[in-house]
Amino acid sequence: MIQVRGLTKSYGKQKVLGHIDLQLQKGEVTAILGPSGSGKTTLLRCLNFLEKPNAGEIAIGDVTVNCKGAGKRDIHKLRQKTAMVFQNYHLFKHKTALENVMEGLVVVQKLLKADARARSQLMLDKVGLADKQDAYPSQLSGGQQQRVGIARALALNPEVVLFDEPTSALDPERVGEVLEVIRSIAREGITMIIVTHEMAFARDVSNHVVFMDDGAIVEEGPPQELFGSPKEERTRQFLKRMTQEWSYTI
Amino acid sequence: MKLDPGFIYDAFLQLLSALPMTLLLTGVPAAGGLLIGTGVAFIRHYRVRGLHLIVAGYVAFIRGTPALMHLFLVYFGSPVIIDFFARKLGLDFNSASIPILYYVFLAFSLTAGAYLSEFIRAGLLAVDKGQVEAAYAVGMTALQAFRRIVLPQALAVSLPNMTNVVIGLLHGSTLAFTVTVLEVFGKANIVANQNWKYFEAFIAAAILYWGITILLETASARLEKRINRYHRGGVA
Ligand SMILES: Nc1ncnc2c1ncn2[C@@H]1O[C@H](COP(=O)(O)OP(=O)(O)OP(=O)(O)O)[C@@H](O)[C@H]1O
Ligand SMILES: [Mg+2]
Repeated sequence: MIQVRGLTKSYGKQKVLGHIDLQLQKGEVTAILGPSGSGKTTLLRCLNFLEKPNAGEIAIGDVTVNCKGAGKRDIHKLRQKTAMVFQNYHLFKHKTALENVMEGLVVVQKLLKADARARSQLMLDKVGLADKQDAYPSQLSGGQQQRVGIARALALNPEVVLFDEPTSALDPERVGEVLEVIRSIAREGITMIIVTHEMAFARDVSNHVVFMDDGAIVEEGPPQELFGSPKEERTRQFLKRMTQEWSYTI
Repeated sequence: MKLDPGFIYDAFLQLLSALPMTLLLTGVPAAGGLLIGTGVAFIRHYRVRGLHLIVAGYVAFIRGTPALMHLFLVYFGSPVIIDFFARKLGLDFNSASIPILYYVFLAFSLTAGAYLSEFIRAGLLAVDKGQVEAAYAVGMTALQAFRRIVLPQALAVSLPNMTNVVIGLLHGSTLAFTVTVLEVFGKANIVANQNWKYFEAFIAAAILYWGITILLETASARLEKRINRYHRGGVA
């Protein structure tokens, strides 16, 4: 279970997140929606301390961290409970696909090399890249790189996988293959938080949808409710605009 | 004066006896410089508090003064410092018992370290921040991320420049001649003096230096190709 209480974050004087409360159940897929600049990425990055929150409390599994006095140890523990899939993949460029997936298992989780390799091959197979294990990132397409990124995150067996717009840097014809992989791991009951602008995908893959605007959660609930009958005016406007854009691109 | 081509060959053979010293004077400072350079680059890249201004001063000083100067400063300066502290601490130790060679190693390492640090620093900047964040996200500590993700890529980027520093060390090892360490150049002097054949002896020495330089360049080019495998790309 993941629980966020009173999370706030400012850059200098600019308040980016104001008192966020959030609670997610194990095995749940949460989609975070919201206009550009609403703080979605920042919220996600606060959860694994890639950004340091100013205040609040984050509890993931059996680790609870008070953001204000968080030390290196706390941060390290929290990061071992989470994994992240980045918008721009951020694969280790000097390592092959397989080595990318193995890296965290060997260095952080101290698995034996042979075990790490076996587990990593399994993960690459899961994302459909068993035949690319020896390729370097520069030899892979964006979609393939992102699938390696997903395998790297899954291999760690984290409490929660954080996705920050996993498809928005991809060519349109590559989006489908990555969404399909995410969909299939969602079915396995892996806890995920996904920031996305893919409305249709959010709607059918998630169990819980959070709509953010201006650094705050405006509305949250099951996808049928949030998409079907949003309560807040801001949510309605956002969804209307997004579905319009969506139909234009078709 | 007539050139005696046969003596070039004789001199060359005699110079080989001093080659191990020249290689030592290149290799040890290369390793020492790499250590210092990596440390300095790390401190400056991450702006380690309290240290990064000091090491910036070190780099500026070394780059602003000749290598021969560093050698003399260390050679004449460190015995004074060592003896001062030995007396202060009441140790029964005299700097005279330290071989000259060690001062030369130290001086050359300090020279190389400053230049290497600049090249390594440029290499560090070439590794995008995203990869470091990815390393943190899988749970690595800052040091693990540096050692396993950033440093290998930074070194690969700076390899051509580092080769030039090592070649500079090889050529600069001739400076050790001035503090009576017997390496190839010093040996060439002796051979020349003994036989009154200066031109031949120094031609032989030049051929030797040039040969090793070519070897170093070839080795580096090969290594570069191997290390940079991952840059090729575009296959899939
Ligand atoms: N490093 C930073 N320094 C200063 N301001 C920042 C920084 N990172 C983000 N911000 C600001 O914080 C706000 C929230 O940014 P964030 O990236 O979280 O938005 P987002 O919801 O992810 O937007 P998008 O949909 O465009 O990705 C924005 O106003 C942004 O300008
Ligand atoms: Mg964002």
